[in-house]
Amino acid sequence: MSAVEPAHILARGVCVDFTVAGRVNRVLHDVSLSVPKGGFVSLIGPSGCGKSTLLKVLAGLLPPSAGEVSVAGVAPVEAVRQRRIGIVFQEATLLPWKNALDNVAMLTHVAHAGRTGSEIRDRATEMLRLVGLEHAAHKRPAQLSGGMRQRVSIARALALDPEVLMMDEPFGALDAITREEMSAFLLEIWERTKKTIVLVTHSIDEAAFLSREVHVMASDPATIIEALPIDLPYPRNEDSYSAPAFARATARLRRLLKEGHRQAAAA
Amino acid sequence: MIRDDPAARPADIDASTGLVANTRGAVLRFVPALGLFIAVLVVWEGVSRIFKLPEFVLPAPTAILAVLIAHQRDLGYAAYVTAREVLYGFLFSAVIGAAVALVTARFAAFGRALYPLVVLFQTVPKVALAPLFILWFGFDLAPKVVLIVVIAFFPVAINMMVGLQNVDPNLIALMRSVGASRNEILMRIQIPNSLPYLMAGLKVAVTLAVIGAIVGEFAGAQAGLGYMIQFASTQMQTSLVFAALVEVSVLGLLFYYVIEWIERRYVDWVPAAD
Repeated sequence: MSAVEPAHILARGVCVDFTVAGRVNRVLHDVSLSVPKGGFVSLIGPSGCGKSTLLKVLAGLLPPSAGEVSVAGVAPVEAVRQRRIGIVFQEATLLPWKNALDNVAMLTHVAHAGRTGSEIRDRATEMLRLVGLEHAAHKRPAQLSGGMRQRVSIARALALDPEVLMMDEPFGALDAITREEMSAFLLEIWERTKKTIVLVTHSIDEAAFLSREVHVMASDPATIIEALPIDLPYPRNEDSYSAPAFARATARLRRLLKEGHRQAAAA
Repeated sequence: MIRDDPAARPADIDASTGLVANTRGAVLRFVPALGLFIAVLVVWEGVSRIFKLPEFVLPAPTAILAVLIAHQRDLGYAAYVTAREVLYGFLFSAVIGAAVALVTARFAAFGRALYPLVVLFQTVPKVALAPLFILWFGFDLAPKVVLIVVIAFFPVAINMMVGLQNVDPNLIALMRSVGASRNEILMRIQIPNSLPYLMAGLKVAVTLAVIGAIVGEFAGAQAGLGYMIQFASTQMQTSLVFAALVEVSVLGLLFYYVIEWIERRYVDWVPAAD
């Protein structure tokens, strides 16, 4: 698949070392991956395997110690400068003193200082409509539920019209039902906007349901041990959870994660 | 245009009814305190009548009330003098405290130089500086304002500093990712984020400002409630001392509630949990 489609996100031999008190700590070892334009890739693995670190490297928030990374043909930092990357964190990180609409508009105000206020507001309103929150435009984050807050933060990322959406466990703080709703919602957004999405998650179901390809990571050494394509046709919906292909994929993912876990325990 | 959106209405109505309920709740909350206060006054009045306590030891509430009315012009002028000291002292404390916090947050190197000195200065018992300020600045407004600033700027500065720094690092990363400058991050994120903290600091500062004004007047003054308390106590006019004390409390409460009103009106969000 990736042989035909050109890579939108490409990482080759990426290593990240943290030096703590003079000791070098390798938190990411020789990671390579490729995501085609419009692809949906998940990074899954045990905590501490470096999946969030890898996402930070891809999003230009952290320079790699070794290896090459490119997003849309340029270095991540440059891609960030060109507003090609949108980021969503586990916490919605909204401003409590601003309503939903102004929160969505906030980054755009900074990123596109040349745009007029009404242009930015129109765009923000459109994004709120896209995430189904136009009725909550004037509510503050404190008046919104966890799922709604996270949708505002997705709308904020989309308002910048990035090509790539980097999401670090965006639904990790939500309850199980809201999580599934948000998964379905994210697929819908993805199909409508054709963004390239990289998602960090620790949920096997979430990874299998959403992604075209799941990259399984292990710790010690912290690297990708397998890239598993998910053979489940889009559009996916609730029925996809009971499809045989879904069951096969999750069983395989579970086995891979367990192996990685055993290796880490043995090491 | 967006404001006319009917879908936006329910939130406004929710917010307003919430506010009404809060105001009523606040009034109801005061009922037990008011009851206890009245009970204390009644017992106090009874004790001083039954045991016929001399007025210069402990005047009855009714005697204090009589003095409050009889000396209302003198007390009013004294309250005006003290209120002026508190107001100027508080305003300078707020401005200087906020400035110290902002400079420390914006220019880290300067902050590292300034901060230890500010903390070191805090170890000096500032009340002990009052005679010095009288010596340098005379008996009028100036020495009291200086004393208040020295006492009250610190809680403003330290609270605002915490508020400026207590920002979600991911939020800063997001701002950086869209090319925000240090100043933009300060203006759009850090300063608004610090406002609830600043208000908490201002409430402490205004209480300290009243103390500063009274202590300043004790050290040397020609007018004011502190001066009056000292003067009346040397004359054994204990009722007048109590009357002045009542005015000091009322003054402190007024200043406090003005700040609380500003906070409710303009800083009506809870800081994000960290």
